[in-house]
Amino acid sequence: MPKEIFMPKLSSTMQVGTLLQWFKEEGDSVEVGEPLFEIMTDKINIEVESYEDGILLKRYFEEDDEVPINHVVGYIGEAGEEVPESPPGESGVSNKPDSPKSPESSEQQTETAPQEQPSEQPEKVRATPAARRVAREREVSLAEIEGSGPKGRVHQADVESFTTTASAAASSASSATPLAQKVAKAEGVELQDIAGSGPRGKIYRADVEKAKQPEAASQTVPAKRVKMAGMRKIVADRMLHSKTTAPHVTLNSEIDMVEVVAMRKRLLDPVEKQTGYRISYTEIIMKATAHALKRHPNINISLEGNEIVQHDAVHIGLAVALEDGLLVPVIKDADRKGLAELTADCKSAGQKAKSGKLKPDEMSEGTFTISNLGMYAVDTFNPVINQPESAILGIGRINEKPVGVDGQIVLRPMMGVSLSFDHRVIDGAPAAAFLTDLKAILENPLELLM
Amino acid sequence: MTQKLKLPPQVKETELRELYKQMWLIRFFEEKVDEFFAKGMIHGTTHLSVGQEASAVGAIAVLEDKDKITSTHRGHGHCIAKGATVNGMMAELFGRTTGYCKGKGGSMHIADVDKGNLGANGIVGGGFAIAAGAALTSQMKKEGYVVLCFFGDGASNEGSFHEALNLASIWKLPVIFICENNQYGMSGPVKEMINIEDIADRAASYGIPGKVVDGNDVFDTMNGVSEAVERARNGEGPSIIEAKTYRSKGHSKSDAKKYRTREEEKEWLLRDPIKLMAEVMIEEGIFTQQEADQIKADAKKEVEESVEFAKNSPEPTLDALMEDIYA
Amino acid sequence: MRELTYLEAVREAMSQEMRENEDVFILGEDIGVYGGAFGVTRGMIEEFGPERIRNTPISEAAISGTAVGAALTGMRPILELQFSDFMTIAMDNMVNQAAKIRYMYGGKGKVPMVLRTPAGSGTGAAAQHSQSLEAWMAHIPGLKVVQPSTAYDAKGLLKAAIDDDNPVIFYEHKLCYRTKSDVPEEAYSIPLGKADIKKEGTDVTIVATAIMVHKSLEAAEELEKEGIHVEVIDPRTLVPLDIETIVQSVKKTGRLVVVHEAVKRGGFGGEIASLIAESEAFDYLDAPIKRLGGKAVPIPYNPELEKAAVPGVSDIVTAVKETLNRL
Repeated sequence: MPKEIFMPKLSSTMQVGTLLQWFKEEGDSVEVGEPLFEIMTDKINIEVESYEDGILLKRYFEEDDEVPINHVVGYIGEAGEEVPESPPGESGVSNKPDSPKSPESSEQQTETAPQEQPSEQPEKVRATPAARRVAREREVSLAEIEGSGPKGRVHQADVESFTTTASAAASSASSATPLAQKVAKAEGVELQDIAGSGPRGKIYRADVEKAKQPEAASQTVPAKRVKMAGMRKIVADRMLHSKTTAPHVTLNSEIDMVEVVAMRKRLLDPVEKQTGYRISYTEIIMKATAHALKRHPNINISLEGNEIVQHDAVHIGLAVALEDGLLVPVIKDADRKGLAELTADCKSAGQKAKSGKLKPDEMSEGTFTISNLGMYAVDTFNPVINQPESAILGIGRINEKPVGVDGQIVLRPMMGVSLSFDHRVIDGAPAAAFLTDLKAILENPLELLM
Repeated sequence: MTQKLKLPPQVKETELRELYKQMWLIRFFEEKVDEFFAKGMIHGTTHLSVGQEASAVGAIAVLEDKDKITSTHRGHGHCIAKGATVNGMMAELFGRTTGYCKGKGGSMHIADVDKGNLGANGIVGGGFAIAAGAALTSQMKKEGYVVLCFFGDGASNEGSFHEALNLASIWKLPVIFICENNQYGMSGPVKEMINIEDIADRAASYGIPGKVVDGNDVFDTMNGVSEAVERARNGEGPSIIEAKTYRSKGHSKSDAKKYRTREEEKEWLLRDPIKLMAEVMIEEGIFTQQEADQIKADAKKEVEESVEFAKNSPEPTLDALMEDIYA
Repeated sequence: MRELTYLEAVREAMSQEMRENEDVFILGEDIGVYGGAFGVTRGMIEEFGPERIRNTPISEAAISGTAVGAALTGMRPILELQFSDFMTIAMDNMVNQAAKIRYMYGGKGKVPMVLRTPAGSGTGAAAQHSQSLEAWMAHIPGLKVVQPSTAYDAKGLLKAAIDDDNPVIFYEHKLCYRTKSDVPEEAYSIPLGKADIKKEGTDVTIVATAIMVHKSLEAAEELEKEGIHVEVIDPRTLVPLDIETIVQSVKKTGRLVVVHEAVKRGGFGGEIASLIAESEAFDYLDAPIKRLGGKAVPIPYNPELEKAAVPGVSDIVTAVKETLNRL
């Protein structure tokens, strides 16, 4: 009896996985634990290993295809076993795979019935009746919800917290009628780009057709076209979502870094001795930011559904540029860490990000993000908020500038900073107060000892 | 008049024709039932007392209306003798709403509580303690009635026999235990199942009278039961009367009777209780052969009519299923 | 209000009823001057005399049948069985006679009797004197089954049972006999088929019977310290069962633990769990239903083994936490 291979759900927010590459061809033999294919989620790249021994009988998706979680990706079984021709769709919901009809296999089925749990069936979600009722009422799919009970059983409270945290748009992206999905695929329209007109943003066929782009005028010299996929697509979606849902306001300021420059010089050796890393301005700015956030808890917030969540912990994300995108490792409890520890953490996070070794939990739970472009010739820029956080600090270069000090024009190492915040939840004055405080701390870093 | 017929004080000569008719009613009713079962017109099972009419009619003849009986699985005769109408009984066997139990009891559970018939019983030996309890009510409420408890030779081997007879004897309850020894407990010959000749002898172990009567002789039966009834009514406690008789038919509808011989059956047939009663009554000048024939014909007609009554009676609706479970 | 023990409450209910109604009497083994195996009828023979406090021979089959017969003819007997285990000997009369007579007779006749009997373990009486067989009786249409847990309930429910026109099996848990509660002096009746919420709560519903009500309340108190609010429901009568109260509670809490002392396999807890699974409360269940019952073993003699054979407070605490995923 062929066994399903399906798209695993690797994080609580994962809706789809992008198939990056197959490691096996149809007809190859596969052992338990061998990598079958690599996928990319909104957070991570991961190799999916086989749970079964056998022959890879069928691959329904190719590289760069996006596969919703729990959808059947292929089958493993014995040579010659029949599997459906077309993708059977979601495990355990409606589209069951065509069951093999040959009399031999049905005989086998009867013989082995006692041990053979319905694993040939899509894996069903383990959930209590109450959880199912609430999921029904709120029109959410249980498959998306991580259960807190034994063996991952989904309880009512899991559904309730899922529906309150999942933002409306996020759920709309996953929810489309089967017909809409079909039309979207045929027309090459991405469902994520479509605003649904149904309940909770559910996408109907009409929405897809409305969103259909007019054919671009043909060009004489064909430009190079690359399908936007994988991390690029995730970054795109997240940026778009942030920019379209959060009214961004950006405050700019300049900070005199003369004290920080001096302090860094004095810390370079001791930190390197202790950690093996050279301390950079990033860590000092992070420390100062954490310090300021502690003083301004109204900035250290996120918007989850209809609730404004004020975080006690200060977890600061650090945007890390990659060749084809952007990752934001999160430094947990930055306010409670010394500069040496922060240096070690930031450096190793950066390395992990670049080598693709960040684990999902190292990228989650951020409460504020810093994006540092100070290594470029950038004075200030308007950073885009990393949702569900509500504010982000953009760091420009440190540049010697003439400034007035005590009636004299002197050259000082000035650093441009930009604070973007979500005006839905943060007003101008508190944001300005935060930025002012941050400036004060960096201009007199001894405040960090306070 | 060649001999003076001895009747018990409770039975008047004028009532004898009615008793004779009861004998025929029982016979015709059961033969009719036998026929219908054979034809598959009524379902379930039934136990016939053909050949035992005298013990039922004779024993009940000495009772007053207020007295009560408990019956057995072979109880059609007891019901008719205690005054049940063949209409109500036939309707019950047809499962109709006009039956004694609205069609819910059938052959084995016919009861007529108003007439003092506390019911037939599908459990062999089930009636002993119920009879004792009914007698206890009479004693405690001083209602003056006695209870006649019918049982078979087979039931006398049930534990409840011992327990109830002991209880009735120590409390001197007004109950008469009347054993219709028809020689077989289903297929088990009484001689193989009981180590003494007379079941009545068991009375000795309870310190109560035990008497054997000719169960095919309605007069002998009524005379024997008469004394026991008087004794019970006088507060002297229970008795056992054993009426020796014979079950002419099989145990129930599907009985090949492999356990006994044709010869034995023929021998008992010579002492058919109805024939014996008619002979005595003609001999005593109580009625003529012609009158006897007329009574028989009346009884037959009454049973025929009961069939019409039953067939024309309504079946219960399904609503009745869940009715009468609780009072 | 004054306090009475459960045992005194049972006695008071009977005495008050007997003063009011001449038809009520008690029969049973050693209930006279001895006062009954557990002393429930102590002193009653002095007030009511040996006619109405009827000492019987050791004949459970006879006394149960006698009670049926007396009830069928107008008395309202209360039968005391010394130990509920002896139900096996009285079973035929309760199951085949008392429960069915009214139905078999098409709604004629009634059997207003109460069979009172001490049940349960915890006294070192071992395998044949410690069982909880209430599920057997609850299975039989025509019987009512009552299982009070407190003195207050015992008095009110026993009056209702005596006043009921049907056969009622009234289980008295031996370990409940010495428990006390406020009991009004005047007679009062608690309708059969009305559950009692012994403690209100919001997190988990416990349905418990007899002594397990007390153990569940103890467990609830312990759980309360950890912020777990348990609702404890005592159905009080298994037949008729007030399922609605349980359904409403489970809709509120989303979690159900059923506790009884009787062996879990085939126990009445399975019935409650099934009814909830079939009810509208199903969609509110947020954890699998848990059943706690006795182990499938005869009750052993050794006190530690005896305790281990039936659910204890810590088992209940654990079960509640399991349903909350808080272990």
